[in-house]
Amino acid sequence: MLLRLRGGRIYDPENGVNGEIRDLYVRNGRIVKAPSDPREANETIDLKGRVVMAGAIDLHTHIGGGKVNIARMMLPEDHERDLTPSGRHPHIGCGHAAPSTRTAGYRYAEMGYVACFEPAMLAANARQAHLEMADTPMVDKGAYVLLGNDDFFLRNLAAGRSPETIRDYVAWTLTAAQALAIKVVNPGGINAFKFNQRKLDLDEANAAYGVTPRQILLSLADAVRALGLAHPLHIHGCNLGVPGNLDTTLDTIRGLEGLRAHLTHVQFHSYGTEGDYKFSSGAAEIAEAVNKNPNISLDVGQIMFGRTVTESGDSMRQFAGSAFADPKKWVGMDIECDAGCGVVPFRYRNRNFVNALQWAIGLELFLLCDDPWRIFLTTDHPNGAPFTSYPHLIRLLMDRSFRNDMLATIHPDAAAHSRLASIDREYSLYEIAIMTRAAPARSLGLKGFGSLAPGARAHITVYIDHDDRERMFATPEYVFKDGQIIVQDGRVVAEVQGATHVVHPDYDRRIEQELDDYFERYMTLRKDSLRVSDDEIRDEGRGELVLHPTTARP
Amino acid sequence: MTAAPADITLATCPFCSLLCDDLSLSTRPDQSFSIVRNGCRRAEKLFRRRPVAPQPLIAGQPVNLETAVARAARILRRARHPLIAGLATDVEGARASVNLAERCGGALDHVNGDALMSMSRLLQTRGWYSTTLSEVRNRADLVLLIDVDFQARHENFIRRCLTPDARPEAASGTTRTIVHLGARSAKRFLPTGTHVLPCHPSRLTEALLALNARLRGHPLKTRDCGLKPADLERLVELVRAARYTALVFAPGSLGAEREPLSSAVCDLVESLNREARAALLSLGGDEGGMSAVSACAWLTGFPLRVQMGRTISFEPQRINAAKLIATGQADAVLWVDAFGNQPSPPVGIPPDATVILGAAHPSDIEQCGVYIPVGTPGLDHPGRLVRTDSVVTLALTGQRDTGLSSVAGVLTRILDRL
Repeated sequence: MLLRLRGGRIYDPENGVNGEIRDLYVRNGRIVKAPSDPREANETIDLKGRVVMAGAIDLHTHIGGGKVNIARMMLPEDHERDLTPSGRHPHIGCGHAAPSTRTAGYRYAEMGYVACFEPAMLAANARQAHLEMADTPMVDKGAYVLLGNDDFFLRNLAAGRSPETIRDYVAWTLTAAQALAIKVVNPGGINAFKFNQRKLDLDEANAAYGVTPRQILLSLADAVRALGLAHPLHIHGCNLGVPGNLDTTLDTIRGLEGLRAHLTHVQFHSYGTEGDYKFSSGAAEIAEAVNKNPNISLDVGQIMFGRTVTESGDSMRQFAGSAFADPKKWVGMDIECDAGCGVVPFRYRNRNFVNALQWAIGLELFLLCDDPWRIFLTTDHPNGAPFTSYPHLIRLLMDRSFRNDMLATIHPDAAAHSRLASIDREYSLYEIAIMTRAAPARSLGLKGFGSLAPGARAHITVYIDHDDRERMFATPEYVFKDGQIIVQDGRVVAEVQGATHVVHPDYDRRIEQELDDYFERYMTLRKDSLRVSDDEIRDEGRGELVLHPTTARP
Repeated sequence: MTAAPADITLATCPFCSLLCDDLSLSTRPDQSFSIVRNGCRRAEKLFRRRPVAPQPLIAGQPVNLETAVARAARILRRARHPLIAGLATDVEGARASVNLAERCGGALDHVNGDALMSMSRLLQTRGWYSTTLSEVRNRADLVLLIDVDFQARHENFIRRCLTPDARPEAASGTTRTIVHLGARSAKRFLPTGTHVLPCHPSRLTEALLALNARLRGHPLKTRDCGLKPADLERLVELVRAARYTALVFAPGSLGAEREPLSSAVCDLVESLNREARAALLSLGGDEGGMSAVSACAWLTGFPLRVQMGRTISFEPQRINAAKLIATGQADAVLWVDAFGNQPSPPVGIPPDATVILGAAHPSDIEQCGVYIPVGTPGLDHPGRLVRTDSVVTLALTGQRDTGLSSVAGVLTRILDRL
């Protein structure tokens, strides 16, 4: 069966294709070379006037795991405003800020996404996270496992254990938790909060272990490098949300000493202390540093006005933010000598100075960072806004006059404190395709994703070229996953399961003996109970495990 | 993994939400188990039970599984208001229950629905700061047990969390204090050295509110708060001196005091976290309760007590299995009990509209339209269960070959016929 997609305008930055009219051919779930005679195609879909991109990838979205489920249970009032009736999707469910797993999968697919990555899975909670992701259909998935606040890591770092030992532990954790990458959240700070430290700067020692966030970052970034993981250390830095954290972020970039790193939801880490409100935008300084340091990539964590819920492993900062809970309820947790979490519902208001400036700071970051290969489109779902706001965000980036219209509606002092009005840049379709497809696929090492070249997986999104880019990106005409039409005219037409992407780097098995002893002495489960097996992911053929190779480096 | 007879195998206990994963079992000739190491009184009793006969019954008469499944499907298809309840099962069984409810327009409740819902309500109205088993074991220098009855359940919490052999150096310099607030009779089941502060269970909330008032510097108008004044002052001193206080309670055993007391625990944690660190741990979610709540939440958005229909409707007040049955608001019930502890649903549904999936025979087998025996996860088949702290999910392996289906296996077959 050879499928011909005829005459679409192709945006495929991975292969340097910028808006050329071309045919695509699909066979057995892959993109294939054009046959010598187009009549060989068994079926043809005419895409004249359509915009064609690879399927989109969200590399930072909270779709599964304990804190996501706490948010779901906490917010019946949010779900009740967005219940999906039977007939709309293969299964009923609910949407908005903390959607049910299935609805999240359906809605991602309906926006043209084919892969989503949970950025904060705890090893202690990995089995649940994978169960939730298994119940998130339509998209491929994967998760980044948290390290850097767990007592085992900290005591070994404090004891001056060798980088090789740390690396073995990191590799074991990736394998046991079935993760694709390593994330660190408020390095050492979540742990410090358990010992009642209320803040932790980059060079401030965790009182219990005497190690600093800077040491933790360097140790983990080096382990990630040495293990040869495709995705660099995924960093949620110190001092999230604190006015003046701009300096922390700049120090973090410098402190990485050229090691590759991904800074996440940087909008929340780009605040100065200037002006009447002692709260100002640091986007220009951050963008300048990012532009100068090719080892750094980032995602923005754009906020949008409206209700949402913030879910974070950063118990220290969520505790501080809990005073602003709206509605007035929140959950914090200290978790299993591993990490923590905080779940705080929130409402971003465009007439609130701080929220309005947060909105502008996110957009400034997008527009001032030069290289779309190193900046990814996220709202840190649902922390800045639910992922369903991406089409609106794309319009803000692509349409300057729309952006300025929106700017006119926010708190006037925030608008005046922002340089947004002076920025002319409009993202092109090519750049959008980079930041939502090609770049995340490269960053995560997802072979066959984010590309429309022969040999690539036939993950294809077809859009109608509306001038209103929000409308265009909200309801693709077709979404193909592995060559199958899964969405047509913005509606799910076929349910697929999606695979789970993981790495299993090699490590010296002696670390397992050490961990057995440690778990036996201190923990309330055995080390082997934590491990999620390959068979659990495969689930008798219901799931699929995609193991990505890693190449150790000295 | 099936153990050869007489071998000692490592097992995880499915019978309470602590999910102890370090039990050593030896298999007896009748396919029951003796616990050789790390058991507790409750586990020893329940592991000693023989597996149920794998014979499905309709009105007490043997039928094959196919016939039983077909009859169960017919009962659900004919019902206008089916109820899928009990839900004493693993994650897989809970997922299948949600799918079945969606297909037949059913309501979902758990055998411990009242206790589970009280915690959900607390979460939905104010939230809390909580902690987990290993944190209590390693971090807490003060553990305040609020009328926890270790004789009945969760006995191994003492061994695993309160009296570990080793604590990490990072917690060194601190000695652990354990305080029990509640009935004096609990004393003999507590670790030695526990400070027992007697308080009548009906006055625990008052005692906690008084403690909280003292911590917040509010004067008390009365010295009568359920605790002796000297004990209250002692408690104030202890919590003020603590660096990390863990407040442990078991909502399932609190009865009418459950909601105000749970709320008072949350308030206390909030006060303590102003200056030092504190967190609560609720011991509950037995009989697969935590698994059912978790899976239902991720699949529907709501923590049980949902009515599936054209959309999902969360009705925590209305959807109470016993009430729906008693008032005739449910006209058929599918009752799930994979642990063999609650073999029959609340009475009130006619036998020909009753389906039971159980690991033990219902008390009145004639009164049960369809009975399909099922295995217990972790004994008869593999399964996954969520621990009391709702963080750790354990994968249990099967320990014997009984031919009993899992709840998920049977429900999927019923679903296929709907």
